[in-house]
Amino acid sequence: MLEARQLSLSIAEFALLQNIDLQINPGKVTAILGPNGAGKTSLLRLLTGESLPSSGEVIFNGAPLSQWQPKQRAKILSVLPQGSQLNFPFTAREVVMMGRIPHATGLIKDTEIVDAALNAVGGSYLDKRFYTQMSGGEKQRVQLARVLAQIWEADVSGDRFLILDEPTSAFDLAHQQLTLKIVRDFACQGVGVLMVIHDLNLAAGCADQLVMLNCGQIAAQGTPEAVLTTEMIQNVFNVDASIGVHPKTGAPLVIV
Amino acid sequence: MRRQSPPTFIFIVSLILVFALFLGLLSGAVDIHPSKLLGLFSLSNMDMDHRILQTIRLPRVLLAALAGACLASCGAVMQGLFRNPLADPSLIGVSSGASVGASCVIFFGGASLVGSGVGLPAITIGAFIGGLMATSVVYRLATSVTGTSVSTMLLAGIAITALAGATTSLFSFFADNEMLRRISLWQMGNLDGADWPRVATLALVVVPLMLVLPREGQALNAMLLGESEARHLGVAVERLKRRLILLTALGVGVAVAVSGVVAFVGLIVPHLVRLLIGPDHRYLIPGSAILGAALLLLADTAARTLMSPAELPTGVLTALLGAPFFIGLLLQQRQKRVG
Repeated sequence: MLEARQLSLSIAEFALLQNIDLQINPGKVTAILGPNGAGKTSLLRLLTGESLPSSGEVIFNGAPLSQWQPKQRAKILSVLPQGSQLNFPFTAREVVMMGRIPHATGLIKDTEIVDAALNAVGGSYLDKRFYTQMSGGEKQRVQLARVLAQIWEADVSGDRFLILDEPTSAFDLAHQQLTLKIVRDFACQGVGVLMVIHDLNLAAGCADQLVMLNCGQIAAQGTPEAVLTTEMIQNVFNVDASIGVHPKTGAPLVIV
Repeated sequence: MRRQSPPTFIFIVSLILVFALFLGLLSGAVDIHPSKLLGLFSLSNMDMDHRILQTIRLPRVLLAALAGACLASCGAVMQGLFRNPLADPSLIGVSSGASVGASCVIFFGGASLVGSGVGLPAITIGAFIGGLMATSVVYRLATSVTGTSVSTMLLAGIAITALAGATTSLFSFFADNEMLRRISLWQMGNLDGADWPRVATLALVVVPLMLVLPREGQALNAMLLGESEARHLGVAVERLKRRLILLTALGVGVAVAVSGVVAFVGLIVPHLVRLLIGPDHRYLIPGSAILGAALLLLADTAARTLMSPAELPTGVLTALLGAPFFIGLLLQQRQKRVG
């Protein structure tokens, strides 16, 4: 389990996050929602050890996150940050292969996993293409395949977690759906998934738990039905919305 | 450009290096017949050619190869660390700091002194100290509690380079004609002082460096994704940065100290190797080292022979040959993008 206990973060006396309590369970999909500047990315950075909280702590599989060896942690915690700075001409295969750096499973096994991960994101055709020459959506798929390859198989170190910061931002409709399906598949294998996502309906359609952040605090937390209400959306986004029901899945549908 | 397979590439550049070694040994103000190489290390056989080989050619050839390997592989590491294909070892202030150290020694009349015990000239020692001091200032400026910021380091490097350049100019301004000539010759990069103590000093740093740097290849690849990505892949990013900056500062510092500022090798060689075999540091670093050794060796041989018996400064030749070649490469790439 990945757990936040009373996390607070202030930078230069400005409180970015206040008293966040959160549990990410294995096998479940949790989505963080909220307006720009609500602290979503800051929270992800704390939960992944990228920055340290001003107070409170993050517990990862039974031990404080900061006490994990970086290599050991990387075997079971895989993180896709927003945007990518890579501007060297690696091929898609080479980029995805980097996801296997924490493991010592050998080239044959790693090659199989890279093939499977590229295939999962619909990127097999990108194999030998240069990252620098790809479109935004293709780059994002390759990066997604990389973080999937990193936790492709269960590891003795503990439960696996996948953390994604706006994984669908550059994707068309088909690839958005594909991403959500992949996320679901991983959750079914027992991976705990946490993602920041902007589209409320995408979140409602795939997450078990929604966390609504507003001004650095958790405004609401629970099932999609409990969180996505007219009042909540009015309070947090200052938008007048109607809540319907998705005709096929039965999930709440936010109509603006 | 189509990629070559890394093992083939490394095999080919190794052949070029061997060829360059022989060419460097045999040609110069006096051309030596290849048969003379056979008895190179026999002490009994002491004719003129052997003496030239043992005391002049061999140290010089080795010095050029070691300096080239060192500058090029440190360049490859810098470019990876800064995630910028235009980074150059001089960016962290090593070269300009070394210039200050060298011109300071020349100005205060230590140029003819030989440092006690080790047999190295005072200029070399001054340059080495100057280079390391400049780098440590740059490093400290860029390091805070949150770690070392690579972009601050670039800016600090530019500022320290400007400051060091001005200091060197001041020394030049107040220097007399003889000192001035020595200062500017040193800055052009020159291998003509090659002797065994310098070779030994350089080898002492470069050989371990060649063994250590390629091991960081995989971690450097991860760094190209971004610092947080590398961290999430289990790389101890701060430790890696500290170690690599220290190692490259040491490597470039000692290379510049023994050979002056040899322009362009650290920038152009890794760039070229990357175009040929791709950016994977596990092959890029050794590939750059071998090609850097071969190219500096060829450039130095040309510097010795073109106007023989007079010699051109090696650094002038590397820039004269390197720059047009680099421009050609850029043009070719541009055409590819258009076509």
